Amino acid sequence: MTIPGSTGQDPLNGQDPLHGRGPDASGAVVPASQGVPLTPDTTGTWHRVHPVSPLVRGWIALAAIAYFFGRDWFEAVFRGDELWGLTGGRAFWTVLIVAVVVLLLVAGFFLSWWFTRYQVTDDHVRVNSGVLFRQHRQARLDRVQAIDVIQPLLARIFGLAELKFEVADAGESAVRLAYLPLASAQELRATILARAAGLTSAPGHAQEPVPEAPEQQILAVPGSRIVGAALLSGTTVFLGIMLTAAGVSTIVFDAAFGPALLVPAAFGVAAGYWSTFSTGYNFRAAVSPDGIRLRYGLLETRAQTVPPGRVQAVEIMQSPLWRFKGWYRMRVNVAGYGVSTENSGARTTLLPVGTQQEVMQMLALVLPDPGTEDPFTVFTAGLDGIAAPKQHDGDASDGCFVTSPRRVRWLSWLTWRRNGFAVTGTALLARSGRLWRSLAVVPHERTQSIALHQGPLARRLRVADLRLHTTTGPVTPVVYQIDADTARRLFDEQAARAAAARRRSLPERWLEARPEPMPEPGPEPSSGLEAATGRLEGQHGPQQQVGPQPEEEIRHGGQH
Amino acid sequence: MPSEAIDPNGISWIRVSPKYITVELIGWAILTVVELAVLSVPLVLLLAGVWPDFPAWLAWLLSVGTLVVRIWIGLLIPRQVRAIGYAERDEDLLIRRGLFFQRVMVVPYGRMQYVDVGVGPLQRAFGLCSVKLHTASPQTNASIPGVPAAEGARLREQLSDRGQARLAGL
Repeated sequence: MTIPGSTGQDPLNGQDPLHGRGPDASGAVVPASQGVPLTPDTTGTWHRVHPVSPLVRGWIALAAIAYFFGRDWFEAVFRGDELWGLTGGRAFWTVLIVAVVVLLLVAGFFLSWWFTRYQVTDDHVRVNSGVLFRQHRQARLDRVQAIDVIQPLLARIFGLAELKFEVADAGESAVRLAYLPLASAQELRATILARAAGLTSAPGHAQEPVPEAPEQQILAVPGSRIVGAALLSGTTVFLGIMLTAAGVSTIVFDAAFGPALLVPAAFGVAAGYWSTFSTGYNFRAAVSPDGIRLRYGLLETRAQTVPPGRVQAVEIMQSPLWRFKGWYRMRVNVAGYGVSTENSGARTTLLPVGTQQEVMQMLALVLPDPGTEDPFTVFTAGLDGIAAPKQHDGDASDGCFVTSPRRVRWLSWLTWRRNGFAVTGTALLARSGRLWRSLAVVPHERTQSIALHQGPLARRLRVADLRLHTTTGPVTPVVYQIDADTARRLFDEQAARAAAARRRSLPERWLEARPEPMPEPGPEPSSGLEAATGRLEGQHGPQQQVGPQPEEEIRHGGQH
Repeated sequence: MPSEAIDPNGISWIRVSPKYITVELIGWAILTVVELAVLSVPLVLLLAGVWPDFPAWLAWLLSVGTLVVRIWIGLLIPRQVRAIGYAERDEDLLIRRGLFFQRVMVVPYGRMQYVDVGVGPLQRAFGLCSVKLHTASPQTNASIPGVPAAEGARLREQLSDRGQARLAGL
């Protein structure tokens, strides 16, 4: 399983993917003459995760066994009774059974650990796992959509971390390495990101400090604000309703709420507060050449990295209660994250609670070029703006936003001045909602497809909805009820803008100097997301060819 | 069919095969028979005297109401099928459908992840197929039903070729 020439192949500490590089190299500037600063794994080099990992993952099983056997005995010892199963001739058998169960578990743990191996080569990360049913998985590094380093509580105690590598399939993680020592996980993340960015192949970039891209903290959400956000959330509204209902029921009907109703409600409220607090706790956002990095968590800590150009859509929301404090919440669609129900959607949260200024800072991260002269005005109008009630029929306009025409005020009397859109050079902004305000931002080059919808009522009023389709996630950008002619024009223009933006969009490897030429059409069509991967294979293949390309080259593929 | 309010200007839609109306009508007929059979059970029982307590107006309403609604749906089918259309442009494919709730969708070739061609038994009998486009977005519900088989094959090849020529990442 090892290749001559590679060092540190000892499986017990085989987590170091950078074994070709001395520890002294970390943080040091690699001379340009060295070219490739990272030693990729060759096809024969494999690493194993930390030996404690199965224990950390399977601790529930062990805890269950301990509980099952331990409780009776513990109570018996406590009461001074004779120990069940340990008296007379049964002691031997009891001990034997426990020993066999534990041995089987340990053997299972050992086998699962032994058969789980991974490697990170120049282009791919590969994971082999499974004892009876083997699974070999391989993912292209430059298809990375996001990398998470997660530390559940128990893993934190052991100083371990899980590495999640996401590609665009919106389902399970492409690669999960659980668990590695924290330092190794971080190093591996840096390696993967550096290679995914195309650093290895671009000698001109070798001066970059590779081990961990330098990062700069943008904002940290204070704990007090997280508490405030939790207290001003829907949970409090629910609590208020429950208490009112309980009070009314007691006073008016003289029937107090039984514990059967109150206890679950109390649990729900506590869980609601807890999840808001524990996932938003110690939230920090930083930026590095490798993208946006988010860190948060109370018991389970997470560090998420979203490389540049991987954010498909952003939504900024404000609930009525948060308006008093001027707070907003930001969510993103990232192809690898999917809908993310775990942690009540913490994973797709770009900013759990932030002021307007912080929202602008985060927007600047996901949309480095706002495509407008005065981004502050445009985005402020998107967050809080509302069109004037008096306007002549036809296109309503609120500064930079085109809103619903006046004639739909009977249909959506609350939101017609709010619903609208704005177009900048790089993104489409769709704002909606009067009480629950929302602003969705979709970069032009991330638009998947666009649809115009019109129902019978909307047809009478000559309005239409425009829906922008993005990858799976919490954000569904819709421009509601705009004038049908405007909508049709926007539909046409947006399709053209998206096409133009795609042509000049960033290369997949975000640190490579220039956009690459479009790929030659492949010989045979394939299916699935692998199709895109497969075709791009040819595009990226020989990395040495990357270099300054004449502008004409970019349009090369379009001639076909 | 005249161009509708939300159709982009200067688009001449390619309509799906008129035979697809027959396919839809056969499906509609089968469903109507099944629905009528199920929802007429109370009426039959009432008239047969097995269940005399069942309110007569409700039994009649169920049967007659279902019949009326199904007939109305059936009458709409030809127009609905004629409302389905698609158009290939240089950069993208346009798809429209719907009579009351209309939808016009644009799918850029570079965004297509794969193209499905599906044939059910009814469609096969009439030499038709359904072409479905998938992008990275689950909201892209871009299917064109009732395309003649040859045209479906041509469309699939054409779309794949154009998709590769303009392939973009995510």
